[in-house]
Amino acid sequence: MRTYRPFTRAGMLESVAYRANFFCFLIGEIMSCFIMFFVWKAVFMSTDSQTFMGFTMEDMVVYLFITFLTGYLTYSDGTYAIATEIRDGSIAMRMIKPCSFDMCFLFQELGNKIINVLFIFAPIVIGVEAYRWVITGACQFDVVHFSLYVVSLILAYLISFYFNVSYGFMAFYLKNLWGADILKEVIINFLSGATIPLAFMPVALANVLNFLPFSSLSYTPVMIYMGMYSPTQIFLKMLLQVFWLCVMILLSKIVWNHAVKRLCSQGG
Amino acid sequence: MRRMLRLHRIFVAQYMKNLMEYKVDFLTGAISFLLGQVVQIAFIGIIFSQIPTLVGWDFNEILFIYGFSLIPKGIDHLLFDNLWSVGYFIVRKGDFDKYLTRPINSLFYVIAEKFCVDAFGELFIGIVLIVYSAIKLRLTITWYMIPLFFVAVIFATLIYTSIKIATSAISFWTKASGHITHMFYMTNDFSKYPTTIYNKFVRTFITYVIPFAFTAFYPASYFLSGENPLFCIGGTVVSSVVLFVISVCIWNMGIKAYESAGS
Amino acid sequence: MIYVNDLRKEFKKTIKEPGLKGSVKALFKPKNEIIKAVDGISFHVEKGEMLGFIGPNGAGKSTVIKMLTGILTPTSGTCEINGHIPQKNRQEYVKEIGVVFGQRTQLWWDLALRETYSVLKEIYDVPDAEFKKRMVFLNEVLELESFITSPVRTLSLGQRMRADIAASLLHNPKVLFLDEPTIGLDVVVKDNIRNAIQKINEEEGTTVILTTHDLADIELLCNRIVMIDKGKKVFDGSVSQLKHDFGQMRELQYELISIKDLKKLNYNEDLKKNEEDISMSNEGALVTVRFNCDAVSVEEMLSYTLSKVHVKDINLKDADIEEIIRRIYRQEVSMDEV
Repeated sequence: MRTYRPFTRAGMLESVAYRANFFCFLIGEIMSCFIMFFVWKAVFMSTDSQTFMGFTMEDMVVYLFITFLTGYLTYSDGTYAIATEIRDGSIAMRMIKPCSFDMCFLFQELGNKIINVLFIFAPIVIGVEAYRWVITGACQFDVVHFSLYVVSLILAYLISFYFNVSYGFMAFYLKNLWGADILKEVIINFLSGATIPLAFMPVALANVLNFLPFSSLSYTPVMIYMGMYSPTQIFLKMLLQVFWLCVMILLSKIVWNHAVKRLCSQGG
Repeated sequence: MRRMLRLHRIFVAQYMKNLMEYKVDFLTGAISFLLGQVVQIAFIGIIFSQIPTLVGWDFNEILFIYGFSLIPKGIDHLLFDNLWSVGYFIVRKGDFDKYLTRPINSLFYVIAEKFCVDAFGELFIGIVLIVYSAIKLRLTITWYMIPLFFVAVIFATLIYTSIKIATSAISFWTKASGHITHMFYMTNDFSKYPTTIYNKFVRTFITYVIPFAFTAFYPASYFLSGENPLFCIGGTVVSSVVLFVISVCIWNMGIKAYESAGS
Repeated sequence: MIYVNDLRKEFKKTIKEPGLKGSVKALFKPKNEIIKAVDGISFHVEKGEMLGFIGPNGAGKSTVIKMLTGILTPTSGTCEINGHIPQKNRQEYVKEIGVVFGQRTQLWWDLALRETYSVLKEIYDVPDAEFKKRMVFLNEVLELESFITSPVRTLSLGQRMRADIAASLLHNPKVLFLDEPTIGLDVVVKDNIRNAIQKINEEEGTTVILTTHDLADIELLCNRIVMIDKGKKVFDGSVSQLKHDFGQMRELQYELISIKDLKKLNYNEDLKKNEEDISMSNEGALVTVRFNCDAVSVEEMLSYTLSKVHVKDINLKDADIEEIIRRIYRQEVSMDEV
C-alpha cells in the first residue's frame, strides 16, 4: 500500500495545479443538471398528475443531481490515459516500475478523486437534502441508505475503472481517440440509465439493461440512495456489482497480458 | 478574402486525404455524435409519451427547435473545431509560435487548419429533425423564409465561434483555457429548449449575456410562428456581430500577451 | 538591416510553494514574481552577416529570437528589421523572414513532405515558376529527394531538420532565424546542415541569425558572436576577437617517461608566478599545465619543462573557444575586461 502513496499524491497535486480550470469544468458539467431541472419543472407544470411514471418532481431532482454526482465520481480517465501512453510508448515506463500497472493508475486517479470528493460531494449532497427538506417539510436523509450508497458507489467506481482500463487497451488501435472516448461515453450514459432512468424504458429493455454491467455504474447506487429498492433488492444488486467487478478485473488482466506480449514483440 | 478561401480549400483537401487513411476513426466520431443526439431525442420522446405539450409546445415543435440548434452547432464543430486545441494545448505547449510566423492571419490559420468531420453526425440529425418536424407541422414556408433561414444559421454559427474565439484567447494569458471554453460552450444546451421553461435569470442570461438563445430558440420560433422576425432573426445578427467584434479584439490583445514556451 | 535597441522582456511567474498545501494555497492566492528574461539588449546586424547567439540555458537567447520574429511582444525597447517592426504589420513582415525552431517542427505532421511545401507555397503566395526553381535549389543544397514523398511523422530528426530549413527558405526570405538548428543531430548531419546554411548565405546573401549550444556551429558559420547571460549582452564581436580578449590561457600537456620526475616540477615557485597564472595537474604520468601566456611566454614554459624532466608526447593547445565560454559562464573572466 505504501508503494502507491506517491501516485495518489501526484494525482492530487495534478488536479489542483490547473486551478481555475477545475472550477470551470465543474460549472460546465453541472450546467446540464440545471437544464434538465428546468425541463422537468416544465414537464410537471404541463401535467395534472403529481407523478411522472412513478417519479415525483422531488424524486427527479434527487435523481438528476445524484446521478451527476455518481457519474462524476465514478468517471475514470483510464481509456484516454492508457491509449495515449501506449501510443507514445511511455507505457514502457509503467512496466519497469516495481508495482502492478493497474494499481499505479488506480492510486493516481484516487488522488484526483479525493480532491473531487472534497469539492463536490458534500455540496451536492447537502444541496439535494436541503431541497428535499424544503419541499417536503421534513428531513429525508437516511443514514442507512446513504452508507449503502457510498459502498455501492465505490464498487461502481472500481467497475468503471477496470472497464476503462480494458477499453483503453483496445482503443489505442484507433487514431481518433477522442471519437472513441465520446462513443464510449454516449453508450455508457445510455446503457447505465444516466440519460434516461431505466424505469422509463420499455420493460423488456429495462430488464436486459438492469442485468448488464452498465446499470451497476450509476443506476444501482442512485436508486439505493433514493430508497427505491427493498433490502432484498439492494442485496441482489450489490451482489451483481461484485460479480461485474470480478469480471472486469479479469478482463483487464487478460487485455494487459495481451498488450504486453504485443509491446514486447513490437519493441514498443 | 479570395486567397483565404483558396487556402481553406487546400487545407480541407489535405485533411480529406488524411481522412481516407483513417476511415474507421471518421465513422467512430460521426456515429458517436449521432448516437448522442438520438438518445437525447428518445428521451424527449419518452417525455411526450406522457404529456401532450410542454408549456404549450408540442412534440414536433420541440423537435424543430432541437433540430435547429444542431445545425449552427454542427457547422461550428465542422469548421472551427481547432479553437478547442488552442485553449487546451497549442498555447500551453508553445506551438502557437508557428501560427505567428506565417504571413496569414493567425486566427484564420488556426481555424482553417483543421476540419472536424465528426460534426456530420450532428448536422445529419439536425437536418432530419427539421425536415421531419416541418412536414409534420405543415409549416407554411414563404419564399423569403429560405434566405432568412440561411442568414439565421450563418449568424448563429458565428455566436458559437465567437464564444470559442474569446474563451480560447484567454489561454494567451493563462496558458490553458480549454475548461473555460467548455464552461461557456456547455451553456449552449440551454438553447435546445424553449426559453419559456426557464426562470427569469436564465432567460436573461442566455438572451443578453451569452446569447445562445439566438442560436436556436429565437430563430426557430420565428420559423414556427412567422412572428417577430426583427427580434428573432435581427437579434441573432446583431448579437453575433457584437460578440464577434469583441472576441476578435480579445484575440488580438491575447497575441500581444502570448508568452510562448521555454525551449 | 537589423537594429535592436534596449530590448526587454519580462515574464510573470507564479510561485508555488512545495507540496499539497502550497498547491491549495496557490489555488486561491497565487503569488507572482517578475522575471527579466531579456534585460536591455542592443545590437545591430548588417545585410549578409551570420550572427550567432550563445549563452547558457535560460540566458534569454530564444526570447530574443522570438521577439525578433514577432512571436513575443517586447515589454519595452524596439527592434527593427528591414524597416519593419515585427509586432506591427506582422503578416507583411514574416513574408521576409524564415524561421526554424530546432526543437519543434513547423511542418504538418501527417502530410507528405511534398504536400507540406505546396501548402506553404500557397501561404506565402510563391508563383509557380519561382516555386519550381526554389525546390530545385533547395533539393540540391539540402538533399530532400529521398524522403520528399514520406509523411513528416516518419522522418528522422536529421531529415526533419533539413525539411524544416527548406520550408523556411521556400519564399526566399531576407533573414533566416535558426533556433538551435543542430540540436540532437549526429556529426555528419550537423556538417551537412552547416554546409547548407553557409551555401545559402553565400549564394543568396541571406542574413542568418542563429542560436546554438554547439560551439562548432559558431566557429564554422558565424563571423560574429553575441553572448548573452542572464538577459544581458556580455560579448559582441568576432570569434578571433573573443579568443584575443579572453584566450590568454594555454594548455601544455605531456607524458613523463618516469613518474618520479613529478617531484622535480614546481612551476609556481621556480617561475615566480601565482596559481592564477599557472596551474598544474596530473593523472599518473600525464601532466597538464594551464598557463596565462600574457604572464609567461610559451618559450619560457617549454624550456623550463624540458630542463627539468624527460618527456614524451608533448602537446600545446591553443585557447579553445569552448574553454573560454565555459570560463565566462562560470564568471571566471571578469566582464570589465571587455
